[in-house]
Amino acid sequence: MKTSLFRAATGSLLLGGFLHFSFAQEFIQDLGNSIIEAEKSTETILDGLRKDDELQAEKLDRKISTTIAETIKNAPDIAIRSMGPAAARPVIKGLSGSHVAITEDGSFCGDMSATSPDHAVASEVLTAHKLRITRGPQILTQSFAAAGGVIQVEHNDIPFEIALPQGVAIPTTANQNTTVQPTTESNTQIHGFITDYAESGQPGFATIIGVNGNIHGLSLKGELSARNMSDMKTPNGNLKNTDIENKGFAIGASYSFERFKIGASFRNFNSNYGIPGGFIGGHPNGVDIDLFKRDLTLRGLYLPAQKSSDTLSVTFRLNQYHHTEYETKEYVGAEFAVNQANVRVEKLIAQGGPFFGIHFGAELDARSIEMGGYVFTPPTNSYAASLFSVASLNGWRDGLEITLSARFGGAFFRPRESVVADKGAIEDRNFALWAIAAEFSQRVAPGKFLTLNVFRTTRAPTIEELYNQGPHLAAYTYERGNHKLDAESGYGAELEFRDYGEIINWRAAVHSTWFLNHLAPRATGDTNWSQILPIYQVSGDEALLIGGSASIELPAEQGFYAQAGASYVCGFYQNENWSDMPQIPPFKFHGEIAYLWTHVRAGFNAEFALAQNRTDRYEERTPGYATFGASLEFHWPLTLAHYSIVLRGDNLFNADVRNHLSRLKSVMPEKGHNVSILAKAEF
Amino acid sequence: MKKLQFLAIAIFSLLFAACGDSNSTSTEQHEHFEVEGWRLYSSEWDTLYSVYRGKEDSKLPGLKVNANCMSAHIHVKFLDENNKEIAGPNDDEHSLGWDVADSKILDIHFEGGWGFHLKGLKEGETKLVLKVKHHDHADAKTPEIQVIVDKALDADKCPFQEDEDED
Repeated sequence: MKTSLFRAATGSLLLGGFLHFSFAQEFIQDLGNSIIEAEKSTETILDGLRKDDELQAEKLDRKISTTIAETIKNAPDIAIRSMGPAAARPVIKGLSGSHVAITEDGSFCGDMSATSPDHAVASEVLTAHKLRITRGPQILTQSFAAAGGVIQVEHNDIPFEIALPQGVAIPTTANQNTTVQPTTESNTQIHGFITDYAESGQPGFATIIGVNGNIHGLSLKGELSARNMSDMKTPNGNLKNTDIENKGFAIGASYSFERFKIGASFRNFNSNYGIPGGFIGGHPNGVDIDLFKRDLTLRGLYLPAQKSSDTLSVTFRLNQYHHTEYETKEYVGAEFAVNQANVRVEKLIAQGGPFFGIHFGAELDARSIEMGGYVFTPPTNSYAASLFSVASLNGWRDGLEITLSARFGGAFFRPRESVVADKGAIEDRNFALWAIAAEFSQRVAPGKFLTLNVFRTTRAPTIEELYNQGPHLAAYTYERGNHKLDAESGYGAELEFRDYGEIINWRAAVHSTWFLNHLAPRATGDTNWSQILPIYQVSGDEALLIGGSASIELPAEQGFYAQAGASYVCGFYQNENWSDMPQIPPFKFHGEIAYLWTHVRAGFNAEFALAQNRTDRYEERTPGYATFGASLEFHWPLTLAHYSIVLRGDNLFNADVRNHLSRLKSVMPEKGHNVSILAKAEF
Repeated sequence: MKKLQFLAIAIFSLLFAACGDSNSTSTEQHEHFEVEGWRLYSSEWDTLYSVYRGKEDSKLPGLKVNANCMSAHIHVKFLDENNKEIAGPNDDEHSLGWDVADSKILDIHFEGGWGFHLKGLKEGETKLVLKVKHHDHADAKTPEIQVIVDKALDADKCPFQEDEDED
């Protein structure tokens, strides 16, 4: 329990952090029975605490579902924007699209899921070793959108963990350093795993087989994955054209040359999924989407001889993404081809002057996008450059820890002439971007922390927001961009209290962001009569988002365990009536009770959401719902292997669940009762 | 050890080559034919069906055919943003397309240009969506048009005989 908490506490002690010894003792006594791992920390106490929210190992197996968004849906402030089970993307604090960055192994996830609700996240959730939601100042190491967040997916495609000596820190994700576990004396190691997932709510299966090996210092990784799921079953019958077929593989290698380490990986992901029909203007049978994504990643590390934790890393990722939307077998409704290259240079410094956990870097990005079929966006090249830095300090006041971060850069769009675009709208655009954040974390009593995070958030408009002028068949919208848009900007704050007590842990937070120019497509009420599609116009408006979340946990390694959490957010446009913003999730609660034995865990859970009656113009209200579920898990080691079986029943009473952020809500409810099984063997 | 270094370099080269394939679109973008409405005429140029900005003219007779019979030629015209009638595009890139909800009740006979015949297969009602096909996609489409297929007639009693002259 709370191993990372101890790591943070003891790490801070060792590095002269703010915890004085008596507090550390109290803190450890408060938190019970975990093993204390003394290692050099480069992170703040708060970041250590946030690591407890990561999903990995058994915690990830327990929550695994069809998509990343479904898997993390019960984390604080998280909702799902969806258009069928495949096209689901996380929403953080009511912010979606480009406000939520998704990274894979620390670099961008090159897909188009941020641009349209029918575009799936091109990543198989079963291949994730860890899922983490980055909050606070660390967001700026990956994104300018400090008001949103970063979803970090770790595949560990480049198997540095096997190749590096103990104690070396690798910046795998935003300021989250993977500290390498000790290697054995043996020259040859082989590790592997096989995971199978099957469910009844969307009948089908998913499988992944992975192997890692080390031969005389050369580390290798191989992985195969497949998913094949048929149409989703809802309480009102099958939702046609929601089938999913994913195939993928990944290979990686790393090697050491004295103080230098190099690695490379290649990840291939193919997906074929359906978007249901039945909307006004949509094709009766929906749309079929074929996509592939290829990522080539090269990475080099330099470990200084005097201090191997002060790592310098250079990461290059070459990405190809191709996406075709078939209205029928004959009609290509839309086609996108994206080629992107990205270089990240990052330096970690454990201690420097008054600062610790210093992480600074630079990022260069070049992206080319071509469109085909019935897409009215001109082909565009875009470029981005940015510098970022995060550092923490303490010592000014007993128990106060401050983290400062900044990201500066620019985004440059170069649209090319196209027959489909209005010539007047094809205009080069350049955006200067800057975002800053400061987080003040005060220990107010042993195990109690009060944290204030203040930030400036920004983002450049997307290509679609600037230049699009036409129908998007799979999204059932006619989208109008605006090439005169300014960058989005705003200021915000989040106040959080965390209490780690003898029996329970709880946290509560409130947040607010004032957007000076919030970019979002809004329904105009007009229709494009050629395609019979509702017209959405991108506009920049002053907007205010206010929300909060709270969670409570009765932790246990054995015996009775309980956990509950709730999130709420509301958004307003500044106008005469302070009208409600669109696509804001309603109040949601999730709770779970479980009993834990040595190798067995049994639990019950409940989830409910209130009706969403705060809607934008032309947006439909959504009724509330309540669902109940149960789970039974077995985890046991046997003859050099570890086995897990997770049985889960969701929505056991077949409730009619309507997701306010789903465009399908007017047609059909979400998944009905569902029994799933996950079986995993690791050796 | 040198063998391993060669192996490492070979693996990295292989990975690099794996991403070398080109990635571009297979369909091109083209100018599109935009309309605000459709009008369907009988072979005698009586208006059978009209829709403008989603609003159908309910006073018109609509589309009907007997089972086992072919309708007379139906002419297709379009309405622009000013509700002014325009002809369909006169090029090789655009053509008439359709979707019939129940293909056991109704079939479409197409002879080129901007017109078609209804072919009744079985008594009943179904929906027809007409489209302006452009390469692999549809530039414009109608709302679902109700088509009534009346009772079957013997071929010689069908109102329109296939060998009749049109227009």
